[in-house]
Amino acid sequence: MTRAMPVLTVLGAIFALWYLAAIWMNATWVYDQAQRAGTTVTLAQVIPQTMAQARPLLPPPHQVAAELWKGVTAQAITSKRSLVYHGYVTFRGTMMGFALGIVLGVALAMAIVRFRVMELSVMPWAIISQTIPIVALAPMILTVSNQIGIDNREVPKAIISAYLSFFPVLVSMVKGLRSPDHMQLDLLSTYGASDGQTFRKLRLPASLPYFFASLKVAIAAALIGTIVGELPTGAIEGLGARMLIGSQFGEPLIMWAALFAAAILAGGLILIVGLIERMAQARMGVPA
Amino acid sequence: MKKYLTAAALATFATGAQAQDVTLQLKWVTQAQFAGYYVAQAKGFYEEEGLNVTIKPGGPDIAPTQVIAGGGADVVVEWMPAALAAREKGLPLVNIAQPFKSSGMMLTCLAESGITTPADFADKTLGVWFFGNEYPFLSWMSQLNLKTDGSAGGVTVLKQGFNVDPLLQKQAACISTMTYNEYWQVIDAGIAESDLITFKYQDQGVATMEDGLYVLEENLADPAFEEKMVKFVRASMKGWKYAEENADEAAMIVLENDETGAQTESHQKRMMSEVAKLTAGSNGALDPADYERTVASLLSPGSDPVISKAPEGAWTHAISDKALQ
Amino acid sequence: MSWLIGATLFWLAAWALNVRLAASRFGATRAGRITVAALFGITLLVLWEGLVRGFAVSPIILPGPSVIGPKIASSLPILWADFVQTVIKGALTGFAIGALAAFAAAIAIDRSPFLQKGLLPIGNFVSALPIVGLAPVLVMWFGFDWQSKAAVVVVMVFFPLLVNMVAGLQATDRLHRDLMATYSATYTQRLLKLRLPAAMPFFFNGLKIAATLALIGAIVAEFFGSPIVGMGFRISTEVGKLGLDMVWATIAVAALSGSALYGLIALIESRVTFWHPSQRK
Repeated sequence: MTRAMPVLTVLGAIFALWYLAAIWMNATWVYDQAQRAGTTVTLAQVIPQTMAQARPLLPPPHQVAAELWKGVTAQAITSKRSLVYHGYVTFRGTMMGFALGIVLGVALAMAIVRFRVMELSVMPWAIISQTIPIVALAPMILTVSNQIGIDNREVPKAIISAYLSFFPVLVSMVKGLRSPDHMQLDLLSTYGASDGQTFRKLRLPASLPYFFASLKVAIAAALIGTIVGELPTGAIEGLGARMLIGSQFGEPLIMWAALFAAAILAGGLILIVGLIERMAQARMGVPA
Repeated sequence: MKKYLTAAALATFATGAQAQDVTLQLKWVTQAQFAGYYVAQAKGFYEEEGLNVTIKPGGPDIAPTQVIAGGGADVVVEWMPAALAAREKGLPLVNIAQPFKSSGMMLTCLAESGITTPADFADKTLGVWFFGNEYPFLSWMSQLNLKTDGSAGGVTVLKQGFNVDPLLQKQAACISTMTYNEYWQVIDAGIAESDLITFKYQDQGVATMEDGLYVLEENLADPAFEEKMVKFVRASMKGWKYAEENADEAAMIVLENDETGAQTESHQKRMMSEVAKLTAGSNGALDPADYERTVASLLSPGSDPVISKAPEGAWTHAISDKALQ
Repeated sequence: MSWLIGATLFWLAAWALNVRLAASRFGATRAGRITVAALFGITLLVLWEGLVRGFAVSPIILPGPSVIGPKIASSLPILWADFVQTVIKGALTGFAIGALAAFAAAIAIDRSPFLQKGLLPIGNFVSALPIVGLAPVLVMWFGFDWQSKAAVVVVMVFFPLLVNMVAGLQATDRLHRDLMATYSATYTQRLLKLRLPAAMPFFFNGLKIAATLALIGAIVAEFFGSPIVGMGFRISTEVGKLGLDMVWATIAVAALSGSALYGLIALIESRVTFWHPSQRK
């Protein structure tokens, strides 16, 4: 309870601000409309009108909630009008990218820790790769994968998502695999342990806490990548596509609902990853 | 419906003909602008011709010209200016059919901006679509002798996104709209038609040809491909004519094919009825007079003509003639 | 075919050279590290060129570096104008506002554990959200010029920075705090002399993350409406015109500015937090 109170207070304040902002921002339109119609409106008349516009500048929370609720419950969840379905499409893309990102990040980290030449040549470019705005690459990735015969539109999305999510894993894993100190490494070498054995018995277990810590960042990055991939390159299905269609057809409510669905998805994913992390820690005997 | 499709499929098998695969890349997201193709698909017109057609929706970052160059499609829906520009870039696209007779593009202005004639555009902010759709606008402005680089006495160009907000928020005096889509979004937003001034490219004499079907020149040399395209154009035009006559049904077919599920019935029905006005008067064959006007407009004097010389072989009647027999 | 073989041979030769360099004493020096990394980068470019030529990839699908390089050289004025619009006006302004706001907010709530407890979980949550999705909304609110791009950047960088800064302000040693208490230091003194410096490594960590976010945000926002200048505008327009050489030229500029921004922050960090163990050589 003591932990929930502050959060609830801040959330309450955010909602209050949100309502005020909605009134303020949507009022311009009401006044403009009244002027075009040649009538005048009082403030008391304006406020209710700012709460229920079809295309508000900023929809008040209850409008978004209603649209979200409609998107989830008003049809079967397998229907393409359902936010659950589109959330699932985005979720699938995120998971594919996340998995690909983990594999890539871990493999690169292993190579970098093992071979000095990999560290010197690949690591700087891995950092530079993250400074390239992925959105600029998204259409390129789409055409090039089309060119080499990948017709599946999930693949380019997963590549974009993996591109963003491999980096946190890489950085943490390099740190983690290097975390055993000299004493431990020396001990293993007095045992005459081979490289492979040192890796399996010491480096890998030592890196696990780092690995799990990086997953939270990676999953968020994977979701961003997926949505960016859905936004301009295809606009066919998924939450990103719904944001785009909502924006294009002047249905801000659809867009906001998709935005919040994405937020809920992000929250859920982080919660799950956090849970896995805690379970792994418990198994490895880390005090809670 | 399903039974009908199966019957058609069986018929194809019975005659022993292998269904031929055709991939069509649309210019934009699934909407009634492309109803003819979806109708031909849903009504089995393609199947009757022995075609197995895949329709790929487009999106803001999908250039149909690039998709066809990459081998991602056999035939694309594109606007003539973009196709001709691609041709100059060394991608020999050929128009094989022109389902859209008239242009649906226009500039929609708020009456309160004080604009009544094109001459009033000077020093105003105008919203334009880019991504290959800016060519008609640029050639119109150069005909009006208005500079588009933001210098005084010219117009300030804003790259508008995918919606009509710049007009509603008064960020622009005029925005680009299509008669079948964005214009109605402005109306839906609550602005009366009397508060708007529109300039149709068609009326201004600067219309360029919109949705046409384009293929790669080298493919046309192959008789088998040519035959496939004849069938495709025939079935597509049948789809278009059906869509024109049954606008509401066509809109519902489009809606069924919209995978985002975010499109609404009212939008699509209205879009279909407006699109039908543009496809009316075309039997699928390109009208050379329209083509000449498009080329003239794109070549028009100005600092930055879209194409530098009149293209040759950019269209053919070979396919549509056979298809329409 | 010869292009493919040539590129592969070059790759093998460069790799062998890199392996030797990395093992040599030269590889341990700063110049050596840079040489190895640069050689690897050049190898990537050669492989790219070899693949493009070997498979005869059309330049409107993927141009090779030999086409992109001259394009960069010949369109410097355009690239510069785009850079100013997107990076300087959009990304950097937003980045500065967002960073200052996060810094100020962290200090403002520093004295209120209640607000911290309330804001931190929310800040953590918001940092993980796909804020990019807000881009069309903010373009609608702030107009199509750079202001809306800066706004997107502000929202994107504010929360990761706030979370890092708040965590940093709490990252002082008991020992150090006790020392300050024995000096009977005031709140301001403790803040300025102990806690702010101690928070700097965290703040810079946040800045590094935010730097890449800033560029992404500014470019995405341009997809939803922009004046006819800017990197996002250039990319989306040139793709439509099949000017892929220009697209890649812009991508190169973006990568360069992103790396430069990152490098600049790392440089300032090493000056400001010279005392931190991670900066020790």
